[in-house]
Amino acid sequence: MRVLSWVASRRARLLEGFVLGNFAFLVLDVYLAHSVNSFRHDAEWIPLAFSVAATALLGVALARDRWAARGPWAHRVGLVIGLGSVALGVAGVGYHLQSQFFSQLTIRSLVYTAPFAAPLAYCGLGFLLLVNRMVPQQGDEWGRWVVFFALGGFFGVFVLALCDHAQNGFFYPSEWWPVISSALAGGFLAVSLFDRRPPFLRICFGVLSLQAAVGLAGFYFHLAADVNGLSASLFENFVHGAPVFAPLLFVDLGLLAAMGLVAAANDTSNHGETA
Amino acid sequence: MKFDMQLRARLAAMTFQSAFLALAIGGALLLGAVLLNQARPPSDTSQPAPELVRAIGRCAQCHRDETPAVVHQFERSEHSRSNVTCFDCHQPGDGQESFDHYNFRLARDVTSLNCRGCHRTEYEQFARSRHALPAWAAVSGPEGMTPEQIAFGERHHPGAVDRPPNPLARLEGAAATQTGCLGCHQIGKPNADGSIGSCTECHSRHSTSIELAREPQTCGHCHMGPDHAQIEIYNESKHGVLFATQRSSLNLRAEPKLLTTADMPVPTCATCHLSGLDGLKVTHDTTERLSYWLFDPVSERRPGYARAQAEMQETCLRCHASSSVKRFYEEAEAVLAATNERVRAGQEVMAGLRAEGLLTEDPFDEPVEFLYFDYWHYFGRTAKHGAFMGGADFVQWHGNYELLVHLAELKEIARELRDRHAGP
Repeated sequence: MRVLSWVASRRARLLEGFVLGNFAFLVLDVYLAHSVNSFRHDAEWIPLAFSVAATALLGVALARDRWAARGPWAHRVGLVIGLGSVALGVAGVGYHLQSQFFSQLTIRSLVYTAPFAAPLAYCGLGFLLLVNRMVPQQGDEWGRWVVFFALGGFFGVFVLALCDHAQNGFFYPSEWWPVISSALAGGFLAVSLFDRRPPFLRICFGVLSLQAAVGLAGFYFHLAADVNGLSASLFENFVHGAPVFAPLLFVDLGLLAAMGLVAAANDTSNHGETA
Repeated sequence: MKFDMQLRARLAAMTFQSAFLALAIGGALLLGAVLLNQARPPSDTSQPAPELVRAIGRCAQCHRDETPAVVHQFERSEHSRSNVTCFDCHQPGDGQESFDHYNFRLARDVTSLNCRGCHRTEYEQFARSRHALPAWAAVSGPEGMTPEQIAFGERHHPGAVDRPPNPLARLEGAAATQTGCLGCHQIGKPNADGSIGSCTECHSRHSTSIELAREPQTCGHCHMGPDHAQIEIYNESKHGVLFATQRSSLNLRAEPKLLTTADMPVPTCATCHLSGLDGLKVTHDTTERLSYWLFDPVSERRPGYARAQAEMQETCLRCHASSSVKRFYEEAEAVLAATNERVRAGQEVMAGLRAEGLLTEDPFDEPVEFLYFDYWHYFGRTAKHGAFMGGADFVQWHGNYELLVHLAELKEIARELRDRHAGP
């Protein structure tokens, strides 16, 4: 309980750290993902540059304001980065769908088009920055919004896992596990927006633990497939093989959802942060 | 106490409702995913290996930008409709050199070995045909062939595989041979993986088209020009004229074993030489229905002459009365016999000059040798091909008339050589 209380009392700072860490990680992830295409289109550099800039600017602004999301610098920088991130995510979905799906409009082209759900990560991170600055951090609204965006993330992961493993024809039955797992997370998080009673939230934490387990197992399977890949170098295997970091989204989103649920659970005892 | 128990029971019931609702939402999502996956084409879901599924879209992801035409060609092909994927043809077969290509292991060269995996009968028919090793050996000799390939080729075509290259190929040099002669003769190239030839010469690579192989122009890509003027003869023939006017109403895509005269009431090269029209046997051995060595200076009957002619005539009978077919063959064989006589006359002139020491033993070092080569190689062949393909003008003006003119020239040159040799 002490841990939950600690988390709840530092919710805003933890969320800023979560977003900052995700932007930093996206530098590597987008670099690997767009290397598949050898950065054929200039626009493919935009998310990479944005992630670098967002990490640096947000990091500096937060450091200057001692990690207070609503400090004078962090607030303004966060709003700009948040709005920019949402715009980038929406544009990214359009670009990814344009790569194949828009020209053919078939299930096949939807499966094999660039992963159209992936850029939505920028939308999610952008909205989290906005939430942390525009929603009161006491009361239950903050927690609900965080859970809502974690829920959106799990829907994105559901689509991502479905399309990515469809490219493999679900050849191995285990490829259905992330689809099942994310569907389960979606269901429970959706209901948790309305049912905040401790017994149900405990089940939700259990479901989120399952996500973490599935994510770590997926990371192992993807890593093993890449290490044993056919390409001449490990880097090439990472670029053209199974997306090694993708399963970690389950862990990432599980943490985010847990943060929101903890805040929600804590609402009853009026523990909030005044950042 | 009682109130506390009631509260707990109520809370448990409400938690169960919420959990049930959550599972229902998750289940609905999952059901949607399964239904969507089942709606996908079988090629995308039922493959013997995950690489085959991945290749469907992964290859196109890049190649829509890199070489977009091949993607469009493939998408329109019968292979695509039959759920064949890129990797089906591009995966390395036994003995094939491979390379890494963006996490796929691909064959460095796609050869007839890759086609043989699914089209074994067609490959075996092709491999024993004149299109195979004899075509290559005519320009390159047995170069590049394994002992097994030479033995195989010689078994079906004695003397046509383990033979020296055409002397003209040596004289013209590697540059002309590579781009010129081998442009067509590579159809029978021996492949390093042990297979023979290239199916794509007639079917193309990514279109893999039956229709293309039935188009006269495909054969005419190589069977043209003065030394083997088949496409010109066909275009002039009744067959060719009918094809030109009725092309749009023909079904050149019909499945080979189901092809009928309703699909193609007008014949193309493939109809007579290869197709299984109205239940006849289909073959990829272009030699099977040929009864004479028409390309030789003096044409003799091929082994299996009667069987070959009977099989060809079976095709003729789909459209012509037996009396017409019989008369056609009698007339063609008469032209062949007459042409043989004319060529023999030319041979005698050349043999006389050589016997008298007026010509060197080396080929193609004296103008008269080129004149004689044109004599039988151009005009003799043209007359005979014209006769067997219904090309009247090629029998006469492009064939026999030219034979007359060139025989007179040969004789005149022979006389001049003798006069010059005898001295004043």
